Amino acid sequence: MNAGDVATTDLIELHQITKEFPGVKSLDQVSFAVRAGEIHALVGENGAGKSTLTKVLAGVYAPDAGEIRFDGRVVQWKSAPDAKRRGIHVIHQELVLFPQSTVAENIFASAEPRTRLGLLDHATMNGDAQRLLTELGVQLDPRERVGNLSVADQQMVEIAKAMASETRVLVLDEPTAVIAGREVELLFDRVRALRARGVAIVYISHRLDEIFALCDRVTVMKDGRKVATHNVSDTTRDTLVRLMVGREMKDIYPPKPVLAVNASTLLEVSDLCVGNRVFDASLSVRAGEIVGIAGMVGSGRTELASGIFGALPARSGMVKIGGIKRTRITPAIAIRLGLGFVTEDRKSQGLLMLLNVAQNVTATTLKGVSRLGLMRRGPERAAAVEAIRSYAIAGARPTGSVSTLSGGNQQKVLISRWVRVCKRVLILDEPTRGVDVGAKAEIYRVMRQLTERGLGILMISSELQEVIGMSDRVLVMHEGRINGELTGSDMTEHDIMRLATTSVSHTTGGEHEYAL
Amino acid sequence: MSAVVSKRPAWSQFISLNVARRYGIFIFFALLVIASGILSPTFLRQDNVVNMLVQFAPLGMVVIGQVFVILVGGLDLSVASVMATAAVIATCFDGTNVSAPKIFAATIGMCVLTGLLNGLLVTKRQVSPFLATFATAVVLQGLRFAYTQGAPSGNVPPIFHEMGTGFLAGMPINVLIVAVLALVFGVLLHLSTFGRRVFMVGGNSESARLVGVNPDVIRIACYVLNALLAGLAGLVLSGFVGIVDNWVGRGFELDSIVATVMGGVALSGGKGTLLGGLVGAAILIIVFNIVLLLGMPVQAQIIVKGVIIIGASACYVIRRAR
Amino acid sequence: MSTLFSLNNGRSLSMRRHLSHNAAAWVVLALLFVLLIAGTLISDRFSTVGNLLNVHQQATGLALVSLGQTLAVLTGGIDLSVGSIISVAATLTSGLADNPYGGWPTAVIAVVLLSGLIGLINGCLILWLKVHPLIVTLGMGAVLQGGILYYSLGPAGSVPDGFDSVAYGRFLNIPVTATIVVLLFFVASFMMRRTRFGHYIYMVGDDDHAAALSGIPTTRVILFVYFFSAICAGLTGIYLAAQFGSGQPYLGVNYTLASITPVVVGGTVLTGGRGGVIGTLIAAYLLSLLNNLINFAGIPSQYQLIVQGLAVIIAVSVNTQRKRVTV
Repeated sequence: MNAGDVATTDLIELHQITKEFPGVKSLDQVSFAVRAGEIHALVGENGAGKSTLTKVLAGVYAPDAGEIRFDGRVVQWKSAPDAKRRGIHVIHQELVLFPQSTVAENIFASAEPRTRLGLLDHATMNGDAQRLLTELGVQLDPRERVGNLSVADQQMVEIAKAMASETRVLVLDEPTAVIAGREVELLFDRVRALRARGVAIVYISHRLDEIFALCDRVTVMKDGRKVATHNVSDTTRDTLVRLMVGREMKDIYPPKPVLAVNASTLLEVSDLCVGNRVFDASLSVRAGEIVGIAGMVGSGRTELASGIFGALPARSGMVKIGGIKRTRITPAIAIRLGLGFVTEDRKSQGLLMLLNVAQNVTATTLKGVSRLGLMRRGPERAAAVEAIRSYAIAGARPTGSVSTLSGGNQQKVLISRWVRVCKRVLILDEPTRGVDVGAKAEIYRVMRQLTERGLGILMISSELQEVIGMSDRVLVMHEGRINGELTGSDMTEHDIMRLATTSVSHTTGGEHEYAL
Repeated sequence: MSAVVSKRPAWSQFISLNVARRYGIFIFFALLVIASGILSPTFLRQDNVVNMLVQFAPLGMVVIGQVFVILVGGLDLSVASVMATAAVIATCFDGTNVSAPKIFAATIGMCVLTGLLNGLLVTKRQVSPFLATFATAVVLQGLRFAYTQGAPSGNVPPIFHEMGTGFLAGMPINVLIVAVLALVFGVLLHLSTFGRRVFMVGGNSESARLVGVNPDVIRIACYVLNALLAGLAGLVLSGFVGIVDNWVGRGFELDSIVATVMGGVALSGGKGTLLGGLVGAAILIIVFNIVLLLGMPVQAQIIVKGVIIIGASACYVIRRAR
Repeated sequence: MSTLFSLNNGRSLSMRRHLSHNAAAWVVLALLFVLLIAGTLISDRFSTVGNLLNVHQQATGLALVSLGQTLAVLTGGIDLSVGSIISVAATLTSGLADNPYGGWPTAVIAVVLLSGLIGLINGCLILWLKVHPLIVTLGMGAVLQGGILYYSLGPAGSVPDGFDSVAYGRFLNIPVTATIVVLLFFVASFMMRRTRFGHYIYMVGDDDHAAALSGIPTTRVILFVYFFSAICAGLTGIYLAAQFGSGQPYLGVNYTLASITPVVVGGTVLTGGRGGVIGTLIAAYLLSLLNNLINFAGIPSQYQLIVQGLAVIIAVSVNTQRKRVTV
């Protein structure tokens, strides 16, 4: 098949789709088409309608008006499994996997190969899975339990699942939310390989760099309408941002102030070892500065942060918070000494999904909204109202649930919770993952406000632009060790990647075994 | 005002704080009361209402504790055994009011130890609460049998008779006790920082841990609290029944769990109200009562109980919390 | 699902997989051997073939009902109606044994069919009402208990003379039914691991939401496990009727909670998705052996319960492999 021929035929077209829910028009006459053999980005702020559009595409919702044309014919999906059978496959951020089953069993779930006796044919299943994985360039043992895999590898299993059946249209929803660096490159290679096979790919992401690196065309949505479709080569980042947000958004990153000479050291970490993931890590954070931590997934960044905060036990080493030394830390102690920790996984480690917004906001400051052990609803509600106002948390009411908020707004709830109690250093792990552009800018603004108030910030991020744009200094980790530090004009993507991927021997000299 | 006293108006504001779907069980309760009143004219008579209240008291006490345990993500099958052990302890001494403080002390000690054992098994050894509390129940039962040689003897001090059957200001004392407990523990659960921590741990213990809460301590506290309430219920029942056998409180473990779940407390933890649990208990008591009033044979009584349990729980279509 | 807060060492693949699937079963097996050795030391009458064959026979009832319970628990549910089903089955078997339509074989067939029907009803209620299986099966158990009490308030009829061979029959001194039950376990284990449907049972327990989204027939799985659990309970009731000579309506009362103990001790978690029937089998034998040993050890009957309870606590505390569970 000639790449040129394929890329001009619309494989699937959503024509003038309208979808309404009680009180809100999610989609308003949206037309969206994807060609076979193209990677088509879909961007827009949270609430713009991307996920509703995807659900109409995949048969989860039936449109109120408009039609779907697939392969030149008008179709009506009876259900999501129906669309799936015809070749529409969606890979969500929330992976649909069975942790107790193997990779092969997950890939072939509900379609397992059987022997003539009707029994499971493990040999064929493992063999086919292996072949599929190799085609995708993935190094995984098909007999491994999925629950033991890293999230990035689990994602690969999902993609392999899609490729196991005849997928014609593949939708990837924020695929790089949980991977970084080399794994992103690998993902891109695999997606390009799929494109070469004639698959129509819809790529949903908030990370504009990736769209420019990978995609052929981009469609911008805003407030339930399609704003524009452009060839990626014909447009710029600024244009896209303007179309998404509706106004100019230069300078998403706030200016970096000059660090005061006599700024006190708020956090000092010496030779911290955490499990077998972090070795001899030392760092410091001073008042008013943002220290970024970069590195590949698996380099130990989150474990380092967890060790500092006490979420994971440290094998050895010392942490000094505000001058107070501790060798044994628990989250309660860390909080009391002035640390905060906005975790990477909002839903399972950060937010209390069964509690409402006000309860989440005050989760770290129960003492502040209670008297003699009894909660006071007035102050609690006031805290929530204050947080909603100052962080512009859209769609949130103090007694409303947090589970219905968008990613960016959920993140704001978490940040507001920690800001209330954090007096010294706030640790942020992937603060803008899954957050749209508008909310990102607000979060960055908040971060700088905190440093102006005299706090320090330790920020883990896999988005190099963000690391460079926000950090005053960058520490780069590699295989559990802090491999180097970059400041000022030395903070370039190239140098960060270099430090993240190649080990630098330490001044204590000579050969250094990196045990894992 | 409805017949069952523990439904105080003061709770209604807390009802509105929680999600609307919880109204289902109250409607069911109201319909049940109305239906019972229609089916039997004696149902709403004062002496019958008092009778039901007295029956409600021990179950209500146990349900209060069970609500805490289930909210925090666990389950406690040892309550019946704790009740029986407390009742046996009441007969251990000389049967006069002088030994009452010793009985209380011994019961408290037994309850705290049991609660600690349950809590430690669940938190430090990661034993399934079902199994841990079941095993504890068996051990307590064994201790009981060993001590009583199969037949408890001895008298229950008069003070417990008073607690079990006496009246104060026109209300049965045991009902007053449960009403006070309901109030105190309702405030503890829904208004205090401890209660907030219970909900946090039950909803997502990892998130709770990361904001400085100690999930193990909270869980153990709930198991101990539950055991203490069960012990108190056992003492009250010992006074009420008069004769103590090894089976005081039999069936309370499953009944209390059923009442709690019917009342809207999710078995997975983190969601529910104390009031809901108490309403669930009230529903059970009403069912026990109406089938007797209607003169249903014992077989029908059991069947009706089963149907009501399923029916009341179907009032919520609770999708499992993810 | 994120492996974030665990410090996984890179242990070799096969050992890790092996351990996590069978860890609990191996521990229980080890405990079984410990108990056997302890028994030999305590009394020479204990380790005779005769005694061990007796234990084999005694374990049958508990093992059979726990087999069905294992499947229900594996899907993340529970079947609290098994006690009542046992009562119904036992009472009807003996009560209808001398019917004019073919005698006891007809009664047995009818009882088995009835059990299956009950199981299907359980499954349907769980699926349609979306009420937690604990509640549904508990309520159903109550309905069944009341129902059988209508049929008979006390022991009902008696089984014919040859029937007790179902319970006591031996071939070359090996108890026949007990051995068949053990074989049943192995067949079930085989089916669970080697057929699609068996895997689906695990997957539904692992994540029923993902199962539905992946095109796994979750409805069929749920209906089947409760059907199977009820059949196992029904067969247990028939067996007990043969053992005691007649069935009575409260026969199965203790079996409900008792059927869960071997399941959990054997490594199946109550949240589902993990464990297996072989663990249950070993645990059921462990518990029976313990009972037997307690008798031989001359522990007075009043203290036997304490020992049993403590033994269970020790057995489950030893197993530290498992992750935190709720319920």
